[in-house]
Amino acid sequence: MSDKPVKFYSSDKAHQKAEKLFNQQFEDSQPLVRNKSDSAVDLSVSLISTQQKSLLTKLFWPSLSAFVIFAAGYEAAIFITSLYNQHWLLGGGIGFLGGVIVLSGAYSLYKGWRARRRFKKRQLQKETISGLLRVNSYGQADAVLREVSDDISSAANIDKLKQDYDNRKQQIHNDQELIQIYSSTILKGLDSAAIDIVTKHATEGAAMVALSPLAAVDMALVAWRSSKMIQQLSQLYGCPQTALGRFEMTKRVFKNMMLAGASELVADAGVEMLGKGLTATISTKAAQGIGVGLLIARMGLQTMHLCRAVPYNSETKPKLSQVRKSVLSKVIGLIKSASSDKSNKQSEKVKQQEALKQHNGYDNS
Amino acid sequence: MSWYKNAKSKAEHLVQRGLDKHVRVAVTGLSGAGKTAFITSFINQLLYAPGEEHLTFFAPCREGRLLVSKLALHEQLHIPAFDYLGSIKSITAEDPSWPASTRSTSQANIQCRFMVKDKWLSQLTENSFLTIEILDYPGEWLLDLPLLSLSFKEWSQLCLQYLESERRKPFVSNVFDKLSQLQYNNVIDEAEQGEQLGELANEYKNALHDYRKSYNDFSLALPGRFLLPGELKDSPALSFFPVISPDILNLDWEQFESHSVLKVLERRYNYYQKHIIRPFFEEYFSKVDRQIVLLDTIAVLQSDYDSYQDLKETIERLLVGFSYGRSNWLKRLFSPSIDKLMIATTKADLVPPDQHASLESFMQKIVTQIKNEIGYDGVDVETMAIASVATSVPVTTEHNGEQLLCVKGLDDKSGESVIHYPGKVPAKTLSREEWRRLTIDFSPFALPELNPDDSLPHIRMDKVLQFLIGDKFV
Repeated sequence: MSDKPVKFYSSDKAHQKAEKLFNQQFEDSQPLVRNKSDSAVDLSVSLISTQQKSLLTKLFWPSLSAFVIFAAGYEAAIFITSLYNQHWLLGGGIGFLGGVIVLSGAYSLYKGWRARRRFKKRQLQKETISGLLRVNSYGQADAVLREVSDDISSAANIDKLKQDYDNRKQQIHNDQELIQIYSSTILKGLDSAAIDIVTKHATEGAAMVALSPLAAVDMALVAWRSSKMIQQLSQLYGCPQTALGRFEMTKRVFKNMMLAGASELVADAGVEMLGKGLTATISTKAAQGIGVGLLIARMGLQTMHLCRAVPYNSETKPKLSQVRKSVLSKVIGLIKSASSDKSNKQSEKVKQQEALKQHNGYDNS
Repeated sequence: MSWYKNAKSKAEHLVQRGLDKHVRVAVTGLSGAGKTAFITSFINQLLYAPGEEHLTFFAPCREGRLLVSKLALHEQLHIPAFDYLGSIKSITAEDPSWPASTRSTSQANIQCRFMVKDKWLSQLTENSFLTIEILDYPGEWLLDLPLLSLSFKEWSQLCLQYLESERRKPFVSNVFDKLSQLQYNNVIDEAEQGEQLGELANEYKNALHDYRKSYNDFSLALPGRFLLPGELKDSPALSFFPVISPDILNLDWEQFESHSVLKVLERRYNYYQKHIIRPFFEEYFSKVDRQIVLLDTIAVLQSDYDSYQDLKETIERLLVGFSYGRSNWLKRLFSPSIDKLMIATTKADLVPPDQHASLESFMQKIVTQIKNEIGYDGVDVETMAIASVATSVPVTTEHNGEQLLCVKGLDDKSGESVIHYPGKVPAKTLSREEWRRLTIDFSPFALPELNPDDSLPHIRMDKVLQFLIGDKFV
């Protein structure tokens, strides 16, 4: 610190140095051009996991599972050695069986881990893409989109859609435009295929529940159809989920449905009330079927939301109404055909009896 | 029964308007901004839109709903038709050239047949029609628009300010002295001494003309018809000039006699305003639904700080003149007004694609203020960097060991292939000092050989179409 006042003119070294530093500061932080939607800096606040779990609570699950695994292994070892002592062939066979169990279990664990990683990767891609949609950048989207395409093409055949995309994209397009083109070509194709899958499973589920006689069977049916659907959908969008991973997905899907349900409920209430009024007149069972079908459909739509690399906008968003119609018509068709079968049979009986009477009459005469 | 027929046709016309079957697009821009090229490309893209799918962002085309589109003759038969075929011929000729600049007004109508998307409307009819009307007129005449709201005195004050600027001095000092020493209170006989006034007006005109030739900037000091008189050449309506004497401008003009020089000038100015400018804008712009303003940001970047400020002021004055406001059905029946405005910077093909964002943002800075004001009235305002006819392709090359995105085209003079990097386009406005240090070079490319059977290459024309008329294809 100097006590006396000092002035640095532009010919002085100190002045030039300061200017250089000042300029550098701007060169380093080159701002991106912002869109009007993003004119205010994103100031949204999120809670930093307020529940600081204590060390002891954290230790519970790892220690418990370690204990169980160790105990089971120890028990198994004692079991096998005791069998081995009785006869070496018996022990060897059971030991081999145990080995197979351990190996296959480890393998499925590994696959589940990979599926979860794929799911996490997709969420990251999604975040990157929605970030790019907000700024006016150039040359960053291509790599992400290519990665997404690779993921998708490993599970689904999208050559034609890809060709369409390649035809449409040009080098002049910026990131936003590229993502929009990607969304309107490749992902739009996948969306319509996904809606088909959702419709298929929802109508099947609806029909099965409408026809099944037991409530317990209903539950099993719903679980089976919906898990099958989630598996197919996730595969279609390029982040295939296996049994273990699917559990995580299902959890997320249900969580999202709870969150989204409230707002969608209001929108759908009117139409669904109409639907219920209609179905109630048909039969309780059919109404149950339609209810289950809609539940499965809603799960399917949520899965699509989670797995799609580019977030939906208000235009591309899939709507329940797209599925509802086919679920309704399927169940109503089933009921109609069942009732018409009955009446057909009755009328056939009457005809047969009349024919018999006539036949007898001829005989009598 | 003629009244009945008349009323019937009028009613049908109103119903069509009410159903939004017409959309009138005004293409606005100062001369040299590329209006004619834009209109040519606009028509070209629409004509080639059915069948092909090259307009990715134009929804009716992407969804395959646009069935047929064709050029049609417009109803206002006294307006000449836009010479689309001539323009396209000159662009795709063996020795291609840009279409000649506009010298008078013209109009083009395009009729489209498309599949109805709205599920209620589609119950009534499967296909629907839309007529798109586009207007072309000399950009010079646009400069008259702000004059509508200025009195002769106000205009003179603006001119005085304008002429006093340093860089205009060498051109106008002669005429400036003459005009400021003129005896404005002399009573004259218009029939006899009209010649003198005409000469002075000519001198004033020529001085500013010369200045404009070397600086290419626009201003209110030179009304549009002075530049391109059309059929008004040498008529007394154009023989006026501003009062540029601060003393007289400070006086109360009531005291001047009705035959004094000042009053004669004022009368001529008022006549010009009332009988020339107003009918023109009323006929062409009062019924406009959508507007696109083309700016030549490239030329601005190549000029200097003062031209930039001048242009900014001119643009602001221009845009205020248009009537904006949300179009509801009632308003549309009787006085339709603009509900969507796009401000586009043309010639984006001279800039590598990674810098389009900077170009757009630089232009945004020119129009920020006015954009806010118009947006406040509920008008959709969008900005974009476009090229009506792309003359280049982006290529990546290596320069000083770094990857550099450039544009490749044909050299304007020699016609050989050239790769060009124009320099770093600033994304924000520059101070006087930064303007001086700005090194940037946009050399225009020659038109490449284009196939007349294909649609013209373009940058973001599909987005322009979508924004301007996409919502009418319901």
